[in-house]
Amino acid sequence: MIYLDHAAATPVSDKALKAMEPYFSRDFFNPSAAYLPAKRVAADYERAKGEIAHAIGAKATDIVMTGGATEANNLAFTALDNQMRSLTASVLYLETEHDSVRAVAEKYNGMAIRVLPNGLIDLDDLKAKITDETMLVSASLANNELGTIQPMAEISAILKNIKIDRLKRGIKQPLYLHSDASQALNLLDINVSRLGVDMLTLNAAKVYGPKGVGALYVAHDVKLSPISVGGGQELGLRSGTENVPGAIGFAAAIKEAKEHLNGNRKRYAKWKQTLLKELRDYELINKKHTLDNFVVLCYSGIDAERLIYLLEDREVYVATGAACAASKGQKSHVLAAIGLSDAQIAGSLRLTLGETNDEEQIHMAAQIINEVVDAEKERVHG
Amino acid sequence: MVEKVFVGMSGGVDSSVSALLLKEQGYDVVGVYMKNWSKDLPGMKCPWAEDLADAKRVAVKLGIDFEVWDFEEAYREKVVEYMLKEFRAGNTPNPDIMCNQEIKFKLFYEKAMERRADYIATGHYARVFRQEGSTGYLLARAVDENKDQTYFLYRIYDEALAHTIFPIGEMTKPEVKKLAEEEGLHNAYKKESMGVCFVGEVGMKDFLKEYIEILPGEIREIESERVLGYHEGVIFYTIGQRHGLYLTGIAGEINDGLPYYVVKKDIENNIVYVSKNLNNEHIWTKRLELKDVVLRAQGLASLSRSGARRSLPSPRGSRATPQFANFRTPLRQDSNATRANNGDIFVRLRHRAPLIPAKMTLSEDGAATLEFEKEVKRPAAGQSAVIYDGEICLGGGIIQ
Repeated sequence: MIYLDHAAATPVSDKALKAMEPYFSRDFFNPSAAYLPAKRVAADYERAKGEIAHAIGAKATDIVMTGGATEANNLAFTALDNQMRSLTASVLYLETEHDSVRAVAEKYNGMAIRVLPNGLIDLDDLKAKITDETMLVSASLANNELGTIQPMAEISAILKNIKIDRLKRGIKQPLYLHSDASQALNLLDINVSRLGVDMLTLNAAKVYGPKGVGALYVAHDVKLSPISVGGGQELGLRSGTENVPGAIGFAAAIKEAKEHLNGNRKRYAKWKQTLLKELRDYELINKKHTLDNFVVLCYSGIDAERLIYLLEDREVYVATGAACAASKGQKSHVLAAIGLSDAQIAGSLRLTLGETNDEEQIHMAAQIINEVVDAEKERVHG
Repeated sequence: MVEKVFVGMSGGVDSSVSALLLKEQGYDVVGVYMKNWSKDLPGMKCPWAEDLADAKRVAVKLGIDFEVWDFEEAYREKVVEYMLKEFRAGNTPNPDIMCNQEIKFKLFYEKAMERRADYIATGHYARVFRQEGSTGYLLARAVDENKDQTYFLYRIYDEALAHTIFPIGEMTKPEVKKLAEEEGLHNAYKKESMGVCFVGEVGMKDFLKEYIEILPGEIREIESERVLGYHEGVIFYTIGQRHGLYLTGIAGEINDGLPYYVVKKDIENNIVYVSKNLNNEHIWTKRLELKDVVLRAQGLASLSRSGARRSLPSPRGSRATPQFANFRTPLRQDSNATRANNGDIFVRLRHRAPLIPAKMTLSEDGAATLEFEKEVKRPAAGQSAVIYDGEICLGGGIIQ
């Protein structure tokens, strides 16, 4: 098997799996219980949150654990529920965001900010669309279909100036910056202060941790509304007994990812070059400003979805776009946003490299993809 | 010149094998997934995305072109609206039959023809024969009596039928599955597809509740007029139904363990009548009135005019000849078992139900009366009675 879809899912690393194991059975206690073994579990859980927070330059108390990135994105938007907000609070989001942002933004009547043909945020469009009512701007750190890395520090600098201007004019409306860092967490050196974000979404499943585990970093001055109420866990924002093994696994995975960050990036960048050299007759879509493990190719005149099934027969697993959108048969809104034609979108293939790969696999993958593309071209053109 | 066929592919094994056979027979085959419905329903995740992926995977494996044709709007208008209208009128319509009539053998057919198709094909278990000495085509039951789907096809347009291939009509289901396995079609074991058409009887009520507001009313015992319980709206119930009745506590005491059946629906007063008497006159009948009668075979057209009882001409005298390469088997000669001696017709009142001998009298306005020798269990109004002579499907009508 050659797995080239690490943006969709990653296997849980050996270390993370081993770290989680005791908390399923031996250390199963409810962290809220009074006796000592339970308190030990509570301490381990807090320590895990601290390690997750540490990976992005934050503290355990700044982190709300969630059931994945989608939930974290939804939680971030509850900033708009804040009772203090004016009735006209509005939200801006990047048009290339993941559905979990787009759908919740739509709920709050959000307005989309355009991207440039290179996938980067159109800062002029951002400036033009921000009004005194704008309360939240959401832009992912790295796009999930292209790997495009957004200039978060630049965005936050713009927002900072606007905030200063608002204060000068006596306008109280807050202005928050949220970013979904699901794809970027194990490929960029992330620090919330440097990025200048108020909220940051993290996802264990993309960094060799367990699925269904995510977190939202929340700066102290951001007021959110609970997504579930009950026992008051997670600062009252997400009641329900803590997913202790999930947090432990996430912490172990993120720690490992941080340790190998530079080495991994170099390897992925090298493999990417190998692929680009050995593959034939493609157009590279994500040329610049992109994560090292994302390779998005366009084969003109070919239906890339057919390639998925042909490659599946050769045990090579690739994607055409976001896994969730693809399964609904929708055309990629991301590729449309960067100005690709319908035919180009149909011919686009996303390869995302990762820890299951090695150099030999990359050569093999290039060869198999070439063969399959040739065969499909032969079928279409005779 | 290679003939072009558009084959409807649902992702299931039947249509997959149909596409495979057409390819093997040398046609220029295009697989088409008809997207008719994509909404999830209470307790039912709409499987369309998975079905589409399955269909496409098979098409890729076979090396044929594949397209998605979006009929959602038309389906909503022609099938769902019709269904809701019929239910509101107190009937129990069959959406499958309407889907075949209006979508698969109309819109799909028309679009295929616009695309210069020679034929369309589907994975139905049924056969088509050319009527000798005529331009007409006959719809015939499948070789696999267990799977025959002509009950759902009796209303499809003649023009579409004349350009239809049913590639698996000559095969049995086990043969189809075996072939799929041999050819490595991954969906050989897949559960049979259940589109929205086919939410089933229990699912249908949930489906209807999405569109029709509940209207509480009484459930009465028909013999005594006693109120036994309450229901959520008479239109949610079907004659003969015995599940989903909210009978109050006394039910056990009075029904001595025997179930109650819905025997009558009073739409006007919103009352559901039930009975535990299986011999109730509302359950059994020797006579059924049909409306919207469709007569298929052209040679039988005169029948619709007379108004008098008449036996249908036998297609035997002018035995149909297989016209396409895949129609290997001529009509069976030994079909006496399914033919009445006195020239009467046979009727099927449900999919896969036994064929029952009957006499049919047609009247001018597209209505007809069916008379049976023995009493039959009365189907719900809105269901179809489909008529046969031997293996030929002669048409049918909607039960009043």
